[in-house]
Amino acid sequence: MSNEGAATATTATTTPPPGRSESPPDSAGRLSGPHGLGASLRSEDARAKTEGTFPYAADLWAEGLLWAAVLRSPHPHARIVSIDTAQARAMPGVRAVITHEDVPGTTTYGRGTADRPVFAAEVVRHHGEPIAAVAADHPDTARMAAAAVIVDYEVLDPITDPEQAFEAEPLHPDGNLIRHIPLRHGDADAVGETVVEGLYRIGRQDPAPIGAEAGLAVPRPDGGVELYVASTDPHADRDRAAACYALGAEHVKVVVTGVPGATADREDPGFQLPLGLLALKTGCPVKLTATREESFLGHAHRHPTLLRYRHHADAEGRLVKVEAQILLDAGAYADTSSDALAAAVSFACGPYVVPNAFIEGWAVRTNNPPSGHVRGEGAMQVCAAYEAQMDKLARKLGVDPAELRMRNVMATGDLLPTGQTVTCPAPVAELLTAVREAPLPPLPKDSPEDEWLLPGGPEGAGEPGAVRRGVGYGLGMVHMLGAEGADEVSTATVKVQDGVATVICAAVETGQGFATLARQIVQETLGLEEVHVAPVDTDQPPAGPGCRGRHTWVSGGAVERAAKMVRTQLLQPLAHKFGMSTELLQIADGKITSYDGVLSTTVEEAMDGKELWATAQCRPHPTEPLDEAGQGDAFVGLAFCAIRAVVDVDVEIGSVRVVELAVAQDVGRVLNPGRLAARIEAGVTQGVGAALTENLRTPRGLVRHPDLTGYALPTALDAPAIRIVKLVEERDVVAPFGAKAASAVPVVTSPAAVASAVRAATGRPVNRLPIRPQAAVVTG
Amino acid sequence: MPAAVPVAGGTDLMAAVNAGLLRPAALVGLGRISEIRGWQYLDGHALLGAGLTHARIGRPDFAALIPALAAAARAAGPPQIRNAGTLGGNIATSAPTGDTLPVLAALEATLIIAGPDGARREMPVSHLLAGMDMLRGGELIGYVRVPLLHAPQVFLKATGRTGPGRALVSVALVLDPARRGVRCAVGAVAPMPLRPLEAEQWIASLIDWDGGRTVVPEALAAFGEYVAAACIPDPAPAEDGSPQQLPPGVLHLRRTVAALARRALGRALS
Repeated sequence: MSNEGAATATTATTTPPPGRSESPPDSAGRLSGPHGLGASLRSEDARAKTEGTFPYAADLWAEGLLWAAVLRSPHPHARIVSIDTAQARAMPGVRAVITHEDVPGTTTYGRGTADRPVFAAEVVRHHGEPIAAVAADHPDTARMAAAAVIVDYEVLDPITDPEQAFEAEPLHPDGNLIRHIPLRHGDADAVGETVVEGLYRIGRQDPAPIGAEAGLAVPRPDGGVELYVASTDPHADRDRAAACYALGAEHVKVVVTGVPGATADREDPGFQLPLGLLALKTGCPVKLTATREESFLGHAHRHPTLLRYRHHADAEGRLVKVEAQILLDAGAYADTSSDALAAAVSFACGPYVVPNAFIEGWAVRTNNPPSGHVRGEGAMQVCAAYEAQMDKLARKLGVDPAELRMRNVMATGDLLPTGQTVTCPAPVAELLTAVREAPLPPLPKDSPEDEWLLPGGPEGAGEPGAVRRGVGYGLGMVHMLGAEGADEVSTATVKVQDGVATVICAAVETGQGFATLARQIVQETLGLEEVHVAPVDTDQPPAGPGCRGRHTWVSGGAVERAAKMVRTQLLQPLAHKFGMSTELLQIADGKITSYDGVLSTTVEEAMDGKELWATAQCRPHPTEPLDEAGQGDAFVGLAFCAIRAVVDVDVEIGSVRVVELAVAQDVGRVLNPGRLAARIEAGVTQGVGAALTENLRTPRGLVRHPDLTGYALPTALDAPAIRIVKLVEERDVVAPFGAKAASAVPVVTSPAAVASAVRAATGRPVNRLPIRPQAAVVTG
Repeated sequence: MPAAVPVAGGTDLMAAVNAGLLRPAALVGLGRISEIRGWQYLDGHALLGAGLTHARIGRPDFAALIPALAAAARAAGPPQIRNAGTLGGNIATSAPTGDTLPVLAALEATLIIAGPDGARREMPVSHLLAGMDMLRGGELIGYVRVPLLHAPQVFLKATGRTGPGRALVSVALVLDPARRGVRCAVGAVAPMPLRPLEAEQWIASLIDWDGGRTVVPEALAAFGEYVAAACIPDPAPAEDGSPQQLPPGVLHLRRTVAALARRALGRALS
């Protein structure tokens, strides 16, 4: 889900984080207004986006443009006997029809392994796999021509059950097993006095970006091509495109347009690559705007997961051993499944101290739609399962579920099951205490009848007598930045001219607030009020993908370093003149003053018409891949979150309404309070969707109801009151500002908390997400 | 494919056009026929224009007249859909989850259909929904005739979320004190609204029509079960005569029908 719209609807019910207001509590005290780090700066394009004047890729236009359409497979598994494009080519208005035969460069691509064909050649492996693409002078002509391509399929039996993938015939030359991690940590013979077991299933969540995919490809006179797309990792997209087109990287340029919602990797290469091919072939600009159905078919989803758990605990409820088997359905192609599996296995025990852990994880290939990066991948699925196990254990021992969690929480210095020591702040106990102690929302009987929103909605069938309230807890964790040795480098340039600073960095503003943060960083460092962030394209040095809090960390770090270098360039001559070091000079309100206030000059005077530039890189400390026993220091940093969910359940018909989610989060340092609250609300709302309604059904490999009526995103009525009860600011010393990633961990934790609350209300096991009504019904 | 397709609110039709499922050669807009955008009274009946929007039907003045239809219209989707979507369109689409349809079935509404050259014919709404009769070429739904019962009516809908969504089950129940009848229709569980006629007659015979219109509480629950069993029957026993279980999903649907029917009757009689 990319449901920022729905999430912001809850802003009114959110209490501002304690101790924060519009004026910056800046220790240096260099700026007076809402500037710099710690201020709730608004995004520069907020107004345009609200008023609908912000140009997205779907709004782009070029003289003489053609329209593209992609023909996608209607079968989940089939052999292609023949493709006949003659009829489509002959249609008036059609300018080009391309298939796998027209790919000049590498014919496969992929984020981890290049296992995915640009166009299916001999076999189709999932419903919606691209087979051909058409460019025509009208979008309807293009669609009709795509439909006129005659493909002769020999339909094969699809493998859609991941458990069958091990034994089944290989669906791909690479085999069906994408990755297997057998994590072994501690004593295999350890046993606890109390043992609980469970089997859990997590459904297929779709990122469902509010703006569907769109793009424009423009051929260049030098034989190259420019792609205007809402990419979140432009350099990777460029390299992929260049390899596919058999062009040098310098001949392909990706220009990033406004990103209409991204909680996953944006822009499906399945249309992006054909778009450029069509532009190169026709010599004309080519545009495509995906329908909602194509969007559901094209982009990657969250991994549906099957989890089997056994928790051992001693008589006091302290965990002794966790055994788990985790099976990720990767769909037809590998994509980032390997990363998701590493996260799932590493965080399989949650933020708890577990001396002995034996976790086996597999990611396997099936004929289901491909799974890939969606916020909190891997970690979200295991969180739902280990928290269900904690509830089960509490019930068996007769201990309060929150108390049981408190007895097991990890802290800084404890070990992850991967053998890595948690060196960053891990204030899990503090977070749990904060949500436990937060006041509960009023009971329905204490509020006026017409203000009580029953499960099922204002016009629903809810009956007060059948509604039961439940309170549940969830504790979750995610890692920040890429893991297992990924080189997470970013580069940024800061330019100052005429008192105005410009940031040039290829970190894409996806809604996470990077552009605003970059302005704040430069304001903080240089004391300048006016800061602009340049639009992103691949002529700039790479900054990497926007996920797992990367850009706040590495791109923010790079911007800060560049800004500091500019500051030194600016102050060095003055410091030299006055015979003092640059640290003793301050910049505020366009003036440079010395520490004692004796010397003072304006920035304009010091600049003397010069233009100052600096470029810097930020690279976090290296990590290592997990070894064959799943051991290794694989993560740069971790972020934690505790959520208490309060739900109302109509126990006769099984409808659930989340009344309130109280969130306490480990954020390291608050850089922009307004933005941070919005990110937490967005994440929590996405989690509520995963907990209750969001499941893309694919019976026999066919995507059912690929529309926003069938795929039910949370609306403003479904989004609960989100109360941020505590933001723990314990700075992570290795992160540039001490700040931690904020968006993913609420997504990970909230489904587990909602399930826990439904369990408390109904006494039912609730071992499947999203929670189906029949699982929340109390009979007899 | 007809040469032209009529379009009123377009909430179903245009979605199909945009998805490429339908490519009508021409569209005839019905939006400017003001005659069918209101309602009038006629011999104890209301004559509802087919162009009435869900938003208009949901307003209090209309709710005082036909409360169940107003409740169904308010539940029919987000405001954007309710502002555009019309009563006639809901009938013409005949989707299993059409929210006004069980209400019209319970009210035993009659369609007044306009044909070419001023032709006019009438058809019970249930005949159209069941496919017993169909609209012919050139015909339009003009009005829907609904009896005014001056008694409690209830529409209840179970959905997957708190916000507007497709019905999993909906139940419409109306009391007809003049004829001492209870009429009930269940939507979304079958391609058309289902009427549990025996259950209706049974409960009507138990109601104290001349007194406070009450029944014993046990009768409410029994009515719910009766309705559910009528709409979702028990599976046929196996060959050896052993009783068969319904699949879990269907069993849940049946429980939901029972709960909704019981609640609907309870509210109508309270």
